[in-house]
Amino acid sequence: MAEKPKIAIYGLGACAGCDQAIIDLNEVMLQVADAVDIVLWPLAMDFKYSRIQAMQDGEIALSILSGSVRNADHQKMAELLRKKSKIVLAMGACACFGGVSGLANFCGKEDIFNWVYRNAPTVINPTGCFPQPETDLNGYKLTLPEFFEHVFTLDQVIDVDYYLPGCPPPPELIGNAIVATLAGDLPPKGSALAPRKALCDTCPRNLRKPNRMEIRSFRRIHEVEADPDECFLAAGIICLGPATRSGCGETCIRINVPCRGCFGPVPGVMESAPKFLSTLSSLLVVERDDEIKEAIDSIDDPVGYLYRFSQPSSILGQKIAKKGLEN
Amino acid sequence: MTAKTITIDPVTRLEGHGKIEIFLNDHGDVEDAFWQVSELRGFERFCLGRPAEEMTRIAPNICGICPSAHHMAASKALDDLYDVEPTPTAILIRQLEFNAFYIEDHYIHFFFLAAPDFVAGPDADPAERNILGVIHKLGKDIGARIIDVRRKNREIIKLVFSKAPHPEGGLPGGVSRGITSEERKWIKEIADDSVAFAQFAMDMFKDLVLHNPKNLDLMLNDAYRLKTCYMSLVDENDKVSFYDGMVKVIDPDGAEILRFAPRDYIEHIGEWVELWTYIKMCHLKKIGWKGLVEGQGTSLYRVAPLARLNVASGMATPLAQKEYEQMFETLGGKPAHHTLAMHWARLICALQAAEHNQMIASDPLLTSKDIRNMNLHLKHIGVGCVEAPRGTLFHHYETDDRGLLTKVNLIVATQNNAAPISLSIKKAAKEFIRQGDIREGLLNRIEMALRAYDPCLSCATHALPGQMPMMVNIRNTDGQVIHTLGRT
Amino acid sequence: MEAYNPKVVCFSCNFGWGYLNNEETLGATILNWIPVACSGKIDTHHILKAFKAGADGVLILGCPEGHCHFQDGNYQTRKKVCLIQKVLGAFGIEPERLDMEMAIDPEGKKIPQLIARMKNDLAKLGPVKRI
Ligand code: SF4
Ligand code: SF4
Repeated sequence: MAEKPKIAIYGLGACAGCDQAIIDLNEVMLQVADAVDIVLWPLAMDFKYSRIQAMQDGEIALSILSGSVRNADHQKMAELLRKKSKIVLAMGACACFGGVSGLANFCGKEDIFNWVYRNAPTVINPTGCFPQPETDLNGYKLTLPEFFEHVFTLDQVIDVDYYLPGCPPPPELIGNAIVATLAGDLPPKGSALAPRKALCDTCPRNLRKPNRMEIRSFRRIHEVEADPDECFLAAGIICLGPATRSGCGETCIRINVPCRGCFGPVPGVMESAPKFLSTLSSLLVVERDDEIKEAIDSIDDPVGYLYRFSQPSSILGQKIAKKGLEN
Repeated sequence: MTAKTITIDPVTRLEGHGKIEIFLNDHGDVEDAFWQVSELRGFERFCLGRPAEEMTRIAPNICGICPSAHHMAASKALDDLYDVEPTPTAILIRQLEFNAFYIEDHYIHFFFLAAPDFVAGPDADPAERNILGVIHKLGKDIGARIIDVRRKNREIIKLVFSKAPHPEGGLPGGVSRGITSEERKWIKEIADDSVAFAQFAMDMFKDLVLHNPKNLDLMLNDAYRLKTCYMSLVDENDKVSFYDGMVKVIDPDGAEILRFAPRDYIEHIGEWVELWTYIKMCHLKKIGWKGLVEGQGTSLYRVAPLARLNVASGMATPLAQKEYEQMFETLGGKPAHHTLAMHWARLICALQAAEHNQMIASDPLLTSKDIRNMNLHLKHIGVGCVEAPRGTLFHHYETDDRGLLTKVNLIVATQNNAAPISLSIKKAAKEFIRQGDIREGLLNRIEMALRAYDPCLSCATHALPGQMPMMVNIRNTDGQVIHTLGRT
Repeated sequence: MEAYNPKVVCFSCNFGWGYLNNEETLGATILNWIPVACSGKIDTHHILKAFKAGADGVLILGCPEGHCHFQDGNYQTRKKVCLIQKVLGAFGIEPERLDMEMAIDPEGKKIPQLIARMKNDLAKLGPVKRI
């Protein structure tokens, strides 16, 4: 009997939501578990690091990595799995674009530390200390990994073969991705294993989108009782649909909340934020300068919408990590 | 003087998520042990400037294991921030979703993480100690039932809040989507199934633990007892409550020492900062930080399933109440300090959630269209609190006049348990490691103390919780690894 | 310490700015000047990439209201610029570092002057404190 293909599933700076989405494959997961040899999946089974290290380069058929890269430990693990795997799939918004925790790039590490360990109202810290990379406690040496100043996407640290966007990606797409990889039925390297349309093109509300949208001012979702069939954007409610890739199943739209862009940019576009920004400004119909200012002022926190999942991969936010930490 | 260090690094030496350090003396006995949490993300800071109502969409990303808890705490903080009472239907829908979440969450913990130790036994081949091993032992039919109940309850979450791993749709004063009468039928079926499954799981637990002297011994073992205070939400009848209530605290002898509205949490909860871990250690502010000590006078409290049952005077639903009585009878009265009894209490909580959803499914108001109260008045400060599966969870927001966040403070469930977890591990380590004997099965027994808490490091940091693979390095005083132990 | 010499990237519309002058001779005297067919052709990512590439300021020169050769490219860009200004701050880039002037200057003589003026203002701001 031919050896079963080996698969590794691993979360770096992740929230485990991606793992939950894999478990949501339900019975399909059991079939997958039969057809392949899962060599690594900390959420569900035991493994030994040395076993991975002892493997041949390229011995793992597929590594599914979720999460962003926030510290040296993440980077080391990503580098190791890259070496041992034929194909690396970046799974989820965090690995693909940085994800929600990438918003941390908008505030410094010092600011975070000061709040968390000193200024938060519940903190009791008479000496004003911070957790330390190394502590000597009655002769015992305790260490903590230090984190990077910056949150990185996976492809800023290692070479990535395919992307599977979403926060988390829906189980159907995960299943398809695994099947396609094992069958060798794959698009060109660097592709996202997701539909190519924009969300607006698959959105049920598109039917009621006016031909020429005209927005004069913006409203926030809690201020309105949104019509369950009307296009959010046409009603002046920020919806990232025009600049976001489809494939999520319009799950948010269906419960009557607008899109926040977890599927990332549409194909051919490097980043969704500039595209959405251009779309948004073109929909504004206001004439005079002061009116423009007023309309734009009615968007509270545009940054929080535009970069909700993508700060680390954005034109202005991206940085390239130093490679080769392992050696 | 310390001769050896044992590091139990749950996700290998390379993973920075959390680890256990055990220090041995020259005789090979345990001198001290520490549980370290090694990550931090800073949600409280990068949310600043964001519109407050977006918190129901941002906070669930803190953790993919208990996203519904963060979503709900955020929704309730928004209610408070906008000084609005959700409509009765909105409250029913939220509770429906929250119960469904409790059910799937508690079972994933029990079957994926806890059961392997009891089904296969703590000394079994580690390769058998996982969910596949459990299914293998108990049969594929049972495996299918486990998958089925989890799927169905997650479908309820998806129906009302978009997707289970990251729910959306909570708004101040209500929810974004109502429930139709067809959906009600389907929900009712799921609730009925869940109650049946809950009873089945309960019987299975009793078979595995109560009727198996070895496992029973383990649960009652002194190594797994820790005398602390306990905290939980209780309803107006002093019963276990998940969605809402007053925060009640009892001392290690069971006497009520505090009962406060969540809004006043700052007066009562303190977070102590240690140099050697990124997690802050919660304690009762009025007693003050006394260090990692148990017993009468300690300021440490525990949360999560066992705490809920210890604190409340009973369960809110009839079947769960019966189980509650049996549990305390077996454990010898209240409060029970047996850390491993958390598994039992967890199953009882899941039963209450299922029973409650049966009631909600029959409530005529569930399908009303009145899902939002739009009468919002921004009052610049809001605190939301739920009893999350892993314990009491607080979200505290402050905003400017436009409702943009200026201050965010979160007390997450696992943080409440941080100091007790450290203590439990030390206690178990002292009991099980003697004279340098560090067999795999013994290390697993130590890890079981940690696992009972179902610590959700994603919340406090962002680690993967779970059946944590272990790697143990034994080092000499120079820090050199002289021997490596691990699960194969 | 070396004196701070701010770098300005200037995009300008061919139809309103410097069209009577030879592009090459004018271009030789102006650093980082990018004439385009219409200010409406300047997309958001061009502006962001200029900052990414190290610009201290970006200046956009478009036609006055109602004078666009392509209906309303200048007006579209005006709105875009206002919106981008609101986003830049989060990345540590002050909104003043992006500016738009709407006028006509067939000889293009004002282009170097406007750039000089912007440099002057930028010198007061100092280098970009990027996050
Ligand atoms: S992409 Fe979403 S679900 Fe996946 S790890 Fe990141 S936050 Fe969690
Ligand atoms: S903008 Fe949003 S609501 Fe409108 S069609 Fe696009 S995705 Fe649908």
